[in-house]
Amino acid sequence: MDIVVALAFNGLVWGLIIALIALGLSIIFGLLDIINLAHGDFFMVGTVLTWFVLEATGNYWIAFLIVPLMGFLMGALVERAVIQPIRGTAALSIVATFGLSIIIQEVVRAGFGAAPKRILPPIEGTIPLFGIEYDIYRIFAAAVSIVAIFGFFAFLHRTKLGTWMRAVRFDRDIALAMGVPARTVYMVTFALGFAMAALGGAVAAPITTVDFQTGVDVLPFCFMAVIIGGLGNLPGTVAAAVLLAVTEGIVTSFTDPTVARIVSLCLMSAVLIARPHGIFAGATR
Amino acid sequence: MKARINRGVLLTVLAFLLIAPLLLPAVGFDYWLDILAEILIWSLFAASVNLLFGYVGLLSFGQALFFGMGMFGVAIGVAKLGLGFWPALGLGMVVAVATAAVAGALAVRLTWHYFAIITVVFSLIFYFIALSAKPLTGGDDGTSFSMPPMLTLGESELSLTDQTVQYFFILLVVGFAFFVKYLIVRSPFGMALMAVRENDVRASLIGLNVYFLRWIAFVVAGGFAGLAGCLFALFGRYASATYMFYHVSGEGVVWTIVGGAGTLFGPAIGAALLIIVREELSNMWEHYPILVGIVVILTVIFAPKGLMGMWNGLLDRLASRSADGTDTDEGQRQAMESAAAPVKGEAGP
Repeated sequence: MDIVVALAFNGLVWGLIIALIALGLSIIFGLLDIINLAHGDFFMVGTVLTWFVLEATGNYWIAFLIVPLMGFLMGALVERAVIQPIRGTAALSIVATFGLSIIIQEVVRAGFGAAPKRILPPIEGTIPLFGIEYDIYRIFAAAVSIVAIFGFFAFLHRTKLGTWMRAVRFDRDIALAMGVPARTVYMVTFALGFAMAALGGAVAAPITTVDFQTGVDVLPFCFMAVIIGGLGNLPGTVAAAVLLAVTEGIVTSFTDPTVARIVSLCLMSAVLIARPHGIFAGATR
Repeated sequence: MKARINRGVLLTVLAFLLIAPLLLPAVGFDYWLDILAEILIWSLFAASVNLLFGYVGLLSFGQALFFGMGMFGVAIGVAKLGLGFWPALGLGMVVAVATAAVAGALAVRLTWHYFAIITVVFSLIFYFIALSAKPLTGGDDGTSFSMPPMLTLGESELSLTDQTVQYFFILLVVGFAFFVKYLIVRSPFGMALMAVRENDVRASLIGLNVYFLRWIAFVVAGGFAGLAGCLFALFGRYASATYMFYHVSGEGVVWTIVGGAGTLFGPAIGAALLIIVREELSNMWEHYPILVGIVVILTVIFAPKGLMGMWNGLLDRLASRSADGTDTDEGQRQAMESAAAPVKGEAGP
């Protein structure tokens, strides 16, 4: 029983981190109409940058603070260099982000090396929780993710830039006519997506391994959350991420993880075919 | 003029492919005969992606699934069931086409992004199944087998263990597949596919069964990918789940786009070019995929019609210049088409 509780908690923590990353994927799709196959690699870049900053400064918290900022800048750069020129050719954008993913992975492999590395959790110790001893750092990671997710929704609904983003997503032409600088909004959106993935990476780095291939594992999971939650349905994405991760965590406790992954992929295909707008589609319309 | 030049180039390439087994060893490039065989196989795989994307407008990121099915069909047929050469090849094809028929029936209900995603999901599902079904597939290690003879005549037998036989066998099969694709594209069926690509609503209004056309195209494309997989399994005497992963599908897409989607030989050119780059550069520079990624992005930005599109554009321009300002028929037709076509994406109703 203890192992089930522990794995369910692990699933919850991981689900919240995935939710944070998947939100970035979802806003990029919702606003720019781009299927970002490099999004998993944005997360991976976050973990790798965390490792580098930690190596350079010896302090995890500095990495925690500046890695999302670095992600934001990189996102802005990538948007201007790669995404801006191909807007409007939806099918080709998948190919371009696939190319981007190859480049990012290979650059990291060149600069960071192919061997996976580990980061020690900056907060050590455990606390009793529902009959098990649970890592404090994981609870911290979950808390950070929750704060970031709420912060993002507050940004989207309370600030001018957030309102612009919603406006451009609702109707680009009318937003343009009302004087919304759509190009800037696109850039900020993409940069924000990258920053959220990088933050997810910084938070997850002490939990998972730092490796140039982690993005490949994370990407399908994020897509599952986005699809099952409904493409562009942001609260749905968060709910689906947590639901999926907890389910996979619990399923993993009595069978092997690959089977758990197959089950959730089958679930995702069923949702895609039966309810392409996500399982929460009825609730939001 | 353009048609004549392109036919000349095609004949030259064909002639080269036919004499390569004599030519390459003569200049000490034996190793390149295998590379050439590999290029042929991957060209067929790219042709499968192209049939769907270039002619029906469906971007599949899951063609590796059928490639892998073909591979495992052959490998398991030989290694586990003890089948001979031809039955194993048949098994690979049947498995690949059957998978495509079932997956297609579900997948072509969706279009655009959703289609791309569901094809990835399907291939991931089978990738994980192949990984975990260790007794059958060998899991991470894959399944290897020893080559059964193709033809036995009394004492002598014909087998792919001979490099030249293997090369010609692959050339023959791939050439035949490309001929079939040529016939399909030229046929009324091919025209119907292109009508669906251009505008599926109008296509359905003139009485075309869009769902059925997409499904058939999906199954045929699955067959091409499966055939490529069968050949690759025979070529390497090996099958592995890694070839089912979506990165392999992605490579097929990349070759197609870089070479030129919607053209018969564009994807083959893309595959040939990038594989040659890989073979040449991977020894010199370990991180050559960076270059591949850059080429992909630059192609998408500056030459969305690929190398073949650039080449045809160049020939058109040369033709119109040599004809003293008057366009050739071909050039005129294309100019009219591009003027009549609505700007995609931005200026919808």
